[in-house]
Amino acid sequence: MVKEIEKAGITIVQMANLIPVAKSVGANRMVPTISIPYPLGDPNTSLDEQWKLRYKRVGWALDALTTEIEDQTLFEG
Amino acid sequence: MKKGILYLNQFFGQIGGEDKADFAPIIKDGVVGAGMILNSILDTAEISHTIICGDNFMGSNEDEAVDKILKYLEDKEFDIFFAGPAFQAGRYGNACGVICKAIKEKFDVPVISSMHIENPGVEMFKKDVYIFQGGDSAAKMKNDMTEMAEFGNKLLKGEVLKTAEEEGYYVRGIRREIYRADSKPANVRAIEMLLKKINGEDFVSELPIPELRRVEIAAPIKNLSEAKIAIVTTGGIVPVDNPDRIQSASATRWGRYSIVGMDRLANRESEAFKTIHAGYDPAAADADPNVCVPLDALRQYEKDGKIGSIHEYFYTTVGTGTTEAEAARMSKEMVELLIEDKVDGVILTST
Amino acid sequence: MKLEINNFPVSEVIFGEKFSYENGILTINKEEALKVVLEDEHITDADIVIAKPGDSTRIVPVKEAIEPRFRVNNGATFPGVTGKIERVGNGKTVALKNCSVLAVGKHWGSFGDGLIDMSGEGAKATLFGDLINICLVADTDEEFERHEQQKKNKALRWAAHRLAEYLGSVVKDLESVDKEVFELEPISKRNKKLNDLPGVVYVMQPQSQMEELGYNDLVYGWDTNRMLPTLMHPNEILDGSIISGSFMPCSSKWSTYDFQNCPTIKSLYGEHGKTINFLGVIMSNLNVALEQKERAAMGVQQIATTLGADAAILAEEGYGNPDADFIACFAALEEAGVKTIGMTNECTGRDGQSQPLVALDQKADAIVSCGNVSKLIELPPMETVIGELESLARDGLSGGWAHDEILGSSVKEDGSIIMENNSMFCGDRVLGWSTKQMKEF
Repeated sequence: MVKEIEKAGITIVQMANLIPVAKSVGANRMVPTISIPYPLGDPNTSLDEQWKLRYKRVGWALDALTTEIEDQTLFEG
Repeated sequence: MKKGILYLNQFFGQIGGEDKADFAPIIKDGVVGAGMILNSILDTAEISHTIICGDNFMGSNEDEAVDKILKYLEDKEFDIFFAGPAFQAGRYGNACGVICKAIKEKFDVPVISSMHIENPGVEMFKKDVYIFQGGDSAAKMKNDMTEMAEFGNKLLKGEVLKTAEEEGYYVRGIRREIYRADSKPANVRAIEMLLKKINGEDFVSELPIPELRRVEIAAPIKNLSEAKIAIVTTGGIVPVDNPDRIQSASATRWGRYSIVGMDRLANRESEAFKTIHAGYDPAAADADPNVCVPLDALRQYEKDGKIGSIHEYFYTTVGTGTTEAEAARMSKEMVELLIEDKVDGVILTST
Repeated sequence: MKLEINNFPVSEVIFGEKFSYENGILTINKEEALKVVLEDEHITDADIVIAKPGDSTRIVPVKEAIEPRFRVNNGATFPGVTGKIERVGNGKTVALKNCSVLAVGKHWGSFGDGLIDMSGEGAKATLFGDLINICLVADTDEEFERHEQQKKNKALRWAAHRLAEYLGSVVKDLESVDKEVFELEPISKRNKKLNDLPGVVYVMQPQSQMEELGYNDLVYGWDTNRMLPTLMHPNEILDGSIISGSFMPCSSKWSTYDFQNCPTIKSLYGEHGKTINFLGVIMSNLNVALEQKERAAMGVQQIATTLGADAAILAEEGYGNPDADFIACFAALEEAGVKTIGMTNECTGRDGQSQPLVALDQKADAIVSCGNVSKLIELPPMETVIGELESLARDGLSGGWAHDEILGSSVKEDGSIIMENNSMFCGDRVLGWSTKQMKEF
């Protein structure tokens, strides 16, 4: 999916927990998330903590979209 | 009788040697040169025409050569297409691959070639063309032509095909399960492989790890504060009634749903959004779909002025068990709309 | 630790007055057997139906399969499930062979449930087409999950375990001529001849991905989601310490029957002292977060190297994101110099062209590959259905569907079906039975 969208020239960042999988399927810009069932907010933490985590990582993703890269790159803030 | 077409280069098409490598494609009735061998073994079809093209012509004027050849064939009826054998000749291998691929796409007939393992055409085209493991020089002409013809017979007779290895063509990346003829169970195979690996002997993995396929990196977004960003997810977040009936595994359908006027995605309990993805525990995403489609965070960045705007829809499907071919098709369908709506960047969340 | 399994072949299962085993014939007093099932008040309705190989019978939704067994004088056959926690793998266990107890939903299926045909092409696709199946067909009052795609199926699964233990008890006082003995010397007490052979561990990755308890495989009744890799004696696996869960797409699933008879463990025993020194089983897990996957791979690597393993066989119960656990563990073992063989199935799609595992690594250079979960299977109607055929289409089974533009519903009006291998009951047999192999076409 990420490849087809990128192939069309649309800048794309994949937010995924399984970075090895994202790499295997050919994602170029990647941001790690915290798990598979809840990528951006651990339900065992407070809503405020979940929000902060989500806001922060989406921010990384937006930064990734504006960054020039030469190889598959992980963005972790 | 069914009909077949054969492609040869200038040399095997008896036009001339290296000096004729710029020869533009022609079509001739019947067989030429080594085509005789093919025709004599092919008992399910006859070679009605031969196409001959110079290797350099195909190399340097690929579009023109392909167009010409496709035009020659537009009014011909044929059931199968052969090219080569190309042995170890790199330019000839490339030409066979290019034309076979084009013929298959346009006419949807089986395409068969033969090349030596070191011919670069093998790596370039083995996924698109049945390429037989051929010899390194024309001394193997009879053998290679025979393999192509015999396989052509099988295809045209509709026989059940054996594995790539048994048939003799290079693997195409199409993997299917078989019941082993010897019924040797997996535990016995594992122990045999284990002992060989321990002893440093050769063994054959049943799953050779394929090399990664990459795409060109898209340019970064220059002016994010004016950019339109879309969210795409493979986490199966949908309106609670799943109006497009997206499957919870092995999806062939996708949907896009309006998020206009929403600060965040409301949850399953409030009858708004839920996940239908069967590959993970749905509890968290049902309780708060924003953990998967982070609309709330993205809205804040919109308010902050960090991004220009959020695309009025989010796009969604289910990633688990979905084939690459289906994922590619669905992505292409999404891409059309994303381009139409002038989306500059995509955040893809996966689970 | 020495385990002696006394095998009693079953050639026929019938109902009768007296619960007995004689000349290969197992006679079940249905009323008495159902009493064992109905000990749990959550079972609201139950019946026992026999399905034999060759019958024109289709069984669906199947949730679990268990070999009838009884631990003679040693407490629960399935510790932590049918009784108290006591160590198994030592002493004498009796087993009724050639048959299994199946937990079958009377109506309702769930994602991880499967289908078994007792004859025809479909019977080849699962081990259980070749066994006499004692089907516990039941309904429960578990309303909270009645219409959920994911079900714990607890009442039905536990009832099937009780029934399997009860049926096994029929031979508890008999001696069998067919005895299997499994004995491994303690690792530090082995003789020079053994110690000079290459040390091999078997690494199992059972299904443990649901963070909510109740869906995963259990080890001594403990949810595998809550455990880190640990060393186990192979006899414990063969003797009921593990029961199967209720989550994984079914062809990838390891039923309790599969654990009890694990062919790879038996093969490793067969080579022990001849070509290898079998060190034991590293019981690992499958996870839903990268950090958890990395932690588990590291743990397996640590145990393997601490034991001095030279080689390993690694098997995963699943596909999709569990492939990332499998590949991470494979790479970790290879990096530590442990020569590893992987056993798995693939998901190459209905067209066979998808990436076979979602994560790949060139270090995973030796794999035995047992099937394609997404293969389409079409099967003709069967005369008899045990359970409810419609569940395949209606209830979100991983390989069934209610609606498809081209293929229609999985269940046709005439009773024929079209499904993905995904819902073939334990069809890919990664624990070693699989005679299937993935090939390039």
